[in-house]
Amino acid sequence: MKRLIRLLIRDLKSSVGLSWHLLASQLIMPIVYIFIMGLTFANIIGEVTIGSAKVNYVQYLAIGVVFGQLMLSASYAGAMVFFDKRMGMFEQILAGPFRRWEYFSSKILSIILQGLFGSSIVILIASPILIGLNLTFKGIIYTIFSLIFASLFFGSLSLLISAYVKTDQSLNIVFNSILPPLTFISSIFYPLEVMPDPLKYIALINPLTYAADITRYGLFSITSTTIPYALPLLPTLSIITFTLAMHTAYKIRL
Amino acid sequence: MSRNTVISARNLVKDYGDVRALDGVSFEVLKGEVFGFIGPNGAGKTTTVRILTTLIPPSGGKAFVLGFNVVKNPVDVRCRIGYVQQQLSFEPFMTVRENLEVYGLLWGVNRQERRRRADFLAEIFGLRDVMERKALELSLGQRKRLQVAREFMHDMELLFLDEPTVGLDPIVKRTLLDFIREKAKRERLTVFFTTHIMSEAEYLCDRIAIIDKGKILACGTTEELKERFGVETILELVVQEGDGEIVKLLESIHGVKEVTQSNDSKSIRLAVVDPYSKTPEILSLLSKEGYHVTELRVKEPSLEDVFIRAVKGES
Repeated sequence: MKRLIRLLIRDLKSSVGLSWHLLASQLIMPIVYIFIMGLTFANIIGEVTIGSAKVNYVQYLAIGVVFGQLMLSASYAGAMVFFDKRMGMFEQILAGPFRRWEYFSSKILSIILQGLFGSSIVILIASPILIGLNLTFKGIIYTIFSLIFASLFFGSLSLLISAYVKTDQSLNIVFNSILPPLTFISSIFYPLEVMPDPLKYIALINPLTYAADITRYGLFSITSTTIPYALPLLPTLSIITFTLAMHTAYKIRL
Repeated sequence: MSRNTVISARNLVKDYGDVRALDGVSFEVLKGEVFGFIGPNGAGKTTTVRILTTLIPPSGGKAFVLGFNVVKNPVDVRCRIGYVQQQLSFEPFMTVRENLEVYGLLWGVNRQERRRRADFLAEIFGLRDVMERKALELSLGQRKRLQVAREFMHDMELLFLDEPTVGLDPIVKRTLLDFIREKAKRERLTVFFTTHIMSEAEYLCDRIAIIDKGKILACGTTEELKERFGVETILELVVQEGDGEIVKLLESIHGVKEVTQSNDSKSIRLAVVDPYSKTPEILSLLSKEGYHVTELRVKEPSLEDVFIRAVKGES
């Protein structure tokens, strides 16, 4: 356990995702989305109505942006394995008093913590928008549930990519071709109910959709069409990706 | 395997697909010795280190480090060793101090000791002025110094150094070699040192193994290797007046080989098996025959000569 904690401290200290410059640059987009796009579009869209529930568009969007940010933070955290490989730290740590499972467990813990940290900052930024929200125990539990499993999913996905990718350029290409489409083909910016059918089906295999919908359900009581299966599906997808990532990462050759 | 044996490699084999990187490597390293593992690039040095540090399993054979089987008890091995790998390794976004202290933390060194060791090592390895700079901003040599210094943040019984001096300037290189020599002597630290720079191995190592194409060609002290590979000392003579007869005269002396003469006949180079007993005999014979020797230089054989002979298969 002590070794795991030592590795976790090292991960948090060395993480590129926690560098203040990167964090600051990452915060620009959420601010733009919530306070520029959100407030402007709110004048056009007004409220989002799903079933009998209605919610202001800015509030709807703010929750989506929290998960968009979480996806970025967790992905950067997962990329630590790539940087460790590139900087020789992967080999160096594994030549120390650590087992592979300890190394990768520390990564997963660090990914979840960094994902939660990144999304908490956005929640803080969005707090003026969320004022007046009736926070219930159920709402908080659903939010934490979504944040943890979404972090696990994106961190694991990033870890999986890191295990295969060999150059900085490939890492950038893979991240840039996966992350933006995932953001737009999900319920982050708009409800699934208004999406064209082909895109809707793609969004249904995107965990971002489920994570955002579960949180909105908890906070605003919006019962999206995904809700009946989102609760079991999000952890299932996350655990499958996590298992795949661990399996692949265990096989990384030195 | 005696109680004094720290590393025991028995018939180690490592295959990468169709390529055999190690082909029956066997040797022993004793406690407190600095053991040199020398060979040309691609000889199998790093593969051997990686097996002994438990990073990769052997395809065949067995290896014991500090009494533990490297395949069955890898963590027991790794808890007791230090490892400076050939590739640069550092935390790019941390300062030099953080690099040192976080590495100490990984090894469970307490906070106060971490700080003390970081300051001490920074002084020894010339990193004091860059302690608060990020590792990413350091020069290549500074990064290598940091990497080597970092390994001394924790205690160990056996240290693996895989070509640690690559990228270091001569002064730092010498500081490092002296530091290791002193540490090995004072703390009875066993050191496994790989290099292809013969002068370093000769300066630092108590015993040396020469490896090429995955096979150990020879193992012993420098003197033993020189003797085994029959590397002679070179005598360089300058005579006042030379002629063609002097070569025949020198070749007639038992123990003298390969006599060569310069174009002006004055400078003569000869290989001698036992220079300290032969030199007086040579000088006396030359004087008796009327040759006046004005200069005499003795060139001791180097490990490099041994290495070249061993690798070329000239024993």
